[in-house]
Amino acid sequence: MSRRRTIAIAVTVAGALAFVWLINATALWEFALRALFPTLRDVLMPRDTLATFVLQHLALVGTSSVLTIAVGVPLGIWVTRRSGAEFRSLVVAGTDLGQTFPPVAVLALAMPVLGFGFWPTIMALFIYGLFPVVSATIAGIEAVPRSVVEAGVGMGMSSSQVLMRAELPLASRVIVSGIRTSVAINIGTATVGAAIGTGGLGVPIIGGLAVQNMAYVLEGAIPAALLAVLADSILAQVESAVTVAEG
Amino acid sequence: MSDHSLQTRFDRVALVGAIVTLAGATALPFVELRPNRLVPGTVHSLADAGVWMFATWGLVALALLSAVAPSAKARSAASSASAYGLVAVLAWALGEAASTLLVGQTSVARVSIGSGAWVILLGAAVIGFAGGEERKRYLLRRLGPPVLVLAAVVSAFVWGGLDDISLAQEFEVRAESFWQLLAGHLALAGAGVALGAVFGVPLGLWATRDRKVRGVVLGVTGIIQTVPSLALLGLLILPLSALGNAVPFLRDLGVRGIGAAPGLVALTMYALLPIVRNTYVGLAEVDPAVVDAGRGMGMSSRQLLMRVELPLALPLIMEGLRTASVLLIGITTLTVFAGARNLGILIFEGLGQFAPDLILLGALPVIVLAVVVDVALSALAKRLTPEGVRE
Amino acid sequence: MIRLEGVTRRYGDELAVDDLSLEVAEGEVCVLIGPSGCGKTTTLRMINRLIEPSGGSIMVNGRNVMSMRPEELRRGLGYVIQSIGLFPHLSVERNIGVVPHLLGWDKQRMAERARELLHLVGLDPEVYLGKYPRQLSGGEAQRVGVARALAADPPVLLMDEPFGAVDPLNRERLQAEFARIQRELHKTVLFVTHDIDEAIRLADKVAIMRDGRLQQFASPEEVLNHPANKFVHDFVGADRALKRLVRVRVEDVMRSPAIVQEGSEELAFRVAAGRRRFVYVIDAAGKLVGWMDTADLEPDMDPAEALTRVDPAQASVRSDASLRDALSRMLGLGFRAIAVTDDKCRLVGEVTFAAVEEAMTEGDEHITNIAEEDAG
Repeated sequence: MSRRRTIAIAVTVAGALAFVWLINATALWEFALRALFPTLRDVLMPRDTLATFVLQHLALVGTSSVLTIAVGVPLGIWVTRRSGAEFRSLVVAGTDLGQTFPPVAVLALAMPVLGFGFWPTIMALFIYGLFPVVSATIAGIEAVPRSVVEAGVGMGMSSSQVLMRAELPLASRVIVSGIRTSVAINIGTATVGAAIGTGGLGVPIIGGLAVQNMAYVLEGAIPAALLAVLADSILAQVESAVTVAEG
Repeated sequence: MSDHSLQTRFDRVALVGAIVTLAGATALPFVELRPNRLVPGTVHSLADAGVWMFATWGLVALALLSAVAPSAKARSAASSASAYGLVAVLAWALGEAASTLLVGQTSVARVSIGSGAWVILLGAAVIGFAGGEERKRYLLRRLGPPVLVLAAVVSAFVWGGLDDISLAQEFEVRAESFWQLLAGHLALAGAGVALGAVFGVPLGLWATRDRKVRGVVLGVTGIIQTVPSLALLGLLILPLSALGNAVPFLRDLGVRGIGAAPGLVALTMYALLPIVRNTYVGLAEVDPAVVDAGRGMGMSSRQLLMRVELPLALPLIMEGLRTASVLLIGITTLTVFAGARNLGILIFEGLGQFAPDLILLGALPVIVLAVVVDVALSALAKRLTPEGVRE
Repeated sequence: MIRLEGVTRRYGDELAVDDLSLEVAEGEVCVLIGPSGCGKTTTLRMINRLIEPSGGSIMVNGRNVMSMRPEELRRGLGYVIQSIGLFPHLSVERNIGVVPHLLGWDKQRMAERARELLHLVGLDPEVYLGKYPRQLSGGEAQRVGVARALAADPPVLLMDEPFGAVDPLNRERLQAEFARIQRELHKTVLFVTHDIDEAIRLADKVAIMRDGRLQQFASPEEVLNHPANKFVHDFVGADRALKRLVRVRVEDVMRSPAIVQEGSEELAFRVAAGRRRFVYVIDAAGKLVGWMDTADLEPDMDPAEALTRVDPAQASVRSDASLRDALSRMLGLGFRAIAVTDDKCRLVGEVTFAAVEEAMTEGDEHITNIAEEDAG
């Protein structure tokens, strides 16, 4: 098992390095896309380099995801504590309902309410990202067997010790899987951000579709797909790393 | 937390709701009067709406009263009344504000909903959840209050001048195409779910019968699900147009790089994961003893599948269809980039023109649609659950 | 009725069942027993072809099972398993109706059959027909499982550790009920268990298996009295003498005691006193009332005062009980003998401790021989 883990981690790291190399290999892109679309005048979007698009994308996703985790996990924990218990049904119902909202619609709605640009988009991604993280945190903590908590209390642990040493370690796999979902949605929704001028990998896709330049579309779509799969597999490694070994 | 402990304490949920509502009512723009639908204009607070402001204050006071009410029932009743009352007041106040502000303006002037109104709505929702668990049961049991709210909003439309709000005017201008786009939206998303089921259920079934297939099917559908929908759409256009060009018959059927085809293919691929996974889990979770007993009593594989395994897996398969449907209603908006026509057109045209009302006209129905489909399919799944295995 | 000849089942190089031959006559209960992994369940599942044999022939009712369609074969063989496998989405009535439905019975007939079978297994149809499996206790569910297996009245029942998952108290009750039903229905039963007590209690024939091979195939008495080898000897266990008692019915060893009718104690007592210390007292209907002991009687005392009144249900054993039940009742009460009654509490005889002792020691010389042989 541990050998498989080592291999999986090695493959993920190699994948990440390959991705970094690939988005900087402008000549390769130019060559391959020219071969595919010999009739097009431009095959790479002149507006920015591919690496810039990726960085813009990462800035959107990274900032919103960090905010999401920083707020979502404590919020989820709080409503499972005595002090936040009365907000639990509100938060659970809110996140349940929120997750049925299509992310694109939420992003679009943020514009009339919050305005256009980078920070309103971050706000929209952050709010939407909260739903899976908060509900996974609540679900993870509430799935911890009562007997474990009671044993901890019985051994004289304070409630914060029970939380840090028993509940969170046992809930961490579920919480990380919630973060994984949240990040995957954010990467996808951020491509749509191009439609509201936030940059990112959506720019070549949407721009390419608008001017019927399929090379642009591929310039955005391929790295976006790779980025999503890469981020997901990195978080999958985190997920299995925090999984408490079960008999 | 028992009801008892809640009764003896101050209900902070009601307090938070009241604060949010007050913030929306006083600190944020309630409506915005603009010379035409695209340019910014002057903002007006709810305080300008006189009587409605007092009504809002009253309802917030009621919410705060509910926080200290002596019994759970009283808390529940007071907070509900406050929440539903706020929604009704909001609808009427918006209508009246619009009608009043438009007096003496040109015909292209618009009054649009400000952020304050949305915040008041949020506050009302929070107040609605005050009163603890009792409240939740009340919501589930009684359909009455939501009907009252609907009546209030409709009446605000008909008599209260809510139709002077820019969103309503935007709708009026585009009424005809709106319904077409809505129909296109439903048709495309529906077709995606249907195709997803046609491929997904057999794939899920196959995955239970063969370990290798399971790894491949679940792995591949999982990766598809991770790929951003816009990227998948972009990746599909090229192969599909190549396919359409190579096989004229398929092109005549609509297999082209641009149009509904790439959208439908992408939607189908997205629908696969929840459907395949839930079908697989549903079938795999059927107690092996039940299958053994069925076979031992002389059921053929087909009879076993149709009479035992599928009925027992049905609730989970339905859950997969529900997840897929909600997902696809959102993703369908993106297919407009490949030339499909649906509510996404309103959203992205609106974003392109910086026209907030147009964005709302596209995004609000998409959200409502997703929620309605979610609720409807949950109810259907419940009905289709065999009685003996119902919770 | 069921005949296995040279049946073999191979998994790769492993032989799960190795050249197994045995025959179960019509109306007999054959119990397949052995440690886990001995091939007993594999053998059972080859009969209804849930596992296909690698070699040999299996005949049921004179037909080779390999010549029949598996589904058709299985519909004619009742099948009961440890985990029961009731269909959770079907009511008790429809669970019982599964095989009749497959066989195309009409609704009326299925409904009647379900009621009849619930009665048979001791569940009230009015209460249970409409219930769902998750509303049943373990014991109730297994009763329904048996009813379901009997639904189409198959001549053969295959039972795979049917009472293995039930608590000990309920297990004994279920075993007793199964014995009663079997006396009524005379099915040909192949019964797999790892519980030697269950085997001895229920079997007409016991087939003891180890590593896929048959070790001994004989009546329980034979297995207890003449174990074929060391393995069988050890498997049966050290308390073989007690186990033997399970096989002996009280009515087979009871004798006639001294009886007097209530009200005529004095006369009867004088008559009996010369020969026996102990006299049973019955009422006019023959029901056990109590007993008298000459040792309790003082010369000037009314004999009726020496009558010890008892509750027949507590102080006697039923004539169809096993000697082991009689022994444990005797030990519990501290008596050297116990009254035997019929199902209406009428006194029919008496079992003495001496009779129990005699049954226990029967066949012991042979056992000693085997133990010595193996030791040497």
